[in-house]
Amino acid sequence: MTSPSPSSRKSLSKIACNRLQKELVEWELNPPAGFKHKVTDNLQRWVIEVNGAPGTLYAGETYQLQVDFPEHYPMEAPQVIFIPPAPLHPHIYSNGHICLDILYDSWSPAMTVSSICISILSMLSSSPAKQRPADNDRYVKNCRNGRSPKETRWWFHDDKV
Amino acid sequence: MQQQSAIQAEEAEKIPFVGDKEPLSSLAAEYKAGGSPVLLEKIKILSEQYAAIRRTRGDGNCFFRSFMFAYLEHILESQDRAEVDRVRANVEECRRTLQKLGYPEFTFEDFFALFLEQLESVIQGSEASISDEELVKRSRDQSVSDYVVMFFRFVTSGEIRKRSEFFEPFILGLTSASVEQFCKSAVEPMGEESDHVHITALSDALGVPIRVVYLDRSSCDNGSVSVNHHDFTPVAGNNNSGGSEAVNPFITLLYRPGHYDILYPK
Repeated sequence: MTSPSPSSRKSLSKIACNRLQKELVEWELNPPAGFKHKVTDNLQRWVIEVNGAPGTLYAGETYQLQVDFPEHYPMEAPQVIFIPPAPLHPHIYSNGHICLDILYDSWSPAMTVSSICISILSMLSSSPAKQRPADNDRYVKNCRNGRSPKETRWWFHDDKV
Repeated sequence: MQQQSAIQAEEAEKIPFVGDKEPLSSLAAEYKAGGSPVLLEKIKILSEQYAAIRRTRGDGNCFFRSFMFAYLEHILESQDRAEVDRVRANVEECRRTLQKLGYPEFTFEDFFALFLEQLESVIQGSEASISDEELVKRSRDQSVSDYVVMFFRFVTSGEIRKRSEFFEPFILGLTSASVEQFCKSAVEPMGEESDHVHITALSDALGVPIRVVYLDRSSCDNGSVSVNHHDFTPVAGNNNSGGSEAVNPFITLLYRPGHYDILYPK
């Protein structure tokens, strides 16, 4: 992608700041079902509580998503990870990184934090088994230096889960 | 594959989003070494009608970027206020389309505002007015250029979804995706290349005719060479469009497989 280093460390541009304030207002009026934004004074990092949907493998379980916004949000995708312990899922690594195309190549400024949350919940809900990706150990080892999932070259070969 | 796309990305960076206006001879020069006789013959034919080319970066946004520059430059040169009023009305219609389709206002309003600001600034006689030079500069500035490209992506996506029954068969000819999936994966993300579906939708939504001249190695069976073009003419019925009477497009793009640049008639 266009940003070689984690641009989330740079502070938000004016446009990004305005957009996020509007997203936050919209979220408070109309939060996606099953999610709770934990209020902090940090606009650039949102921590969101996820509740597994009833009737799915994750019913009754609670996880935490960490969303970091880059300087040029929404032209650039936010970085979204689960704060470990991450749910056991064939597309979620034990370090919290998520293999989901809209977080990387298929990101569009037309998406929102809320639409990302809905996609993640739907990914959880359609999981057939609680298991880690086959390459979990190798991948997590490669990320030990604190690499962002946005620097990973993802292969999205399975759209069933 | 990955290495190849990395190399392509690196090559693309060497060309600004929007290049300088170059004489058409620079196009011929590109093929001198490779020496496809058909292409050279076609470029000769082109040079009878066209004087210059302006290249755009091959980053997947080249159609929208070419359209942006060609349109704003046309307004800057023609000072056609009637056209500006007409397109503004269409932009407001596009805004209503997105609202009706359920897009939250905050996702698109900044992009709309930035386009309208550029449109305003190419009309001379106000404090915000800009020169041709400044237009080139802004078109090369990512914080303006990419926002306008994204504005066109919103407009295109809204038009396709609004008239999904019309566009569905064309989309099925390209991919197995539904109209909704197509918009999400092939229209709305930056860097996704444009096809005739995108061009038709943008032309219809804004009511702006677009001529695309095709430059490829094809020739007729009898060996004669001609250059084909296609005019995308906005459909009547969309409010404020020019109607489908034969209009002479003021935007001409050169298509070579995988890429669009801007052409200037003599």
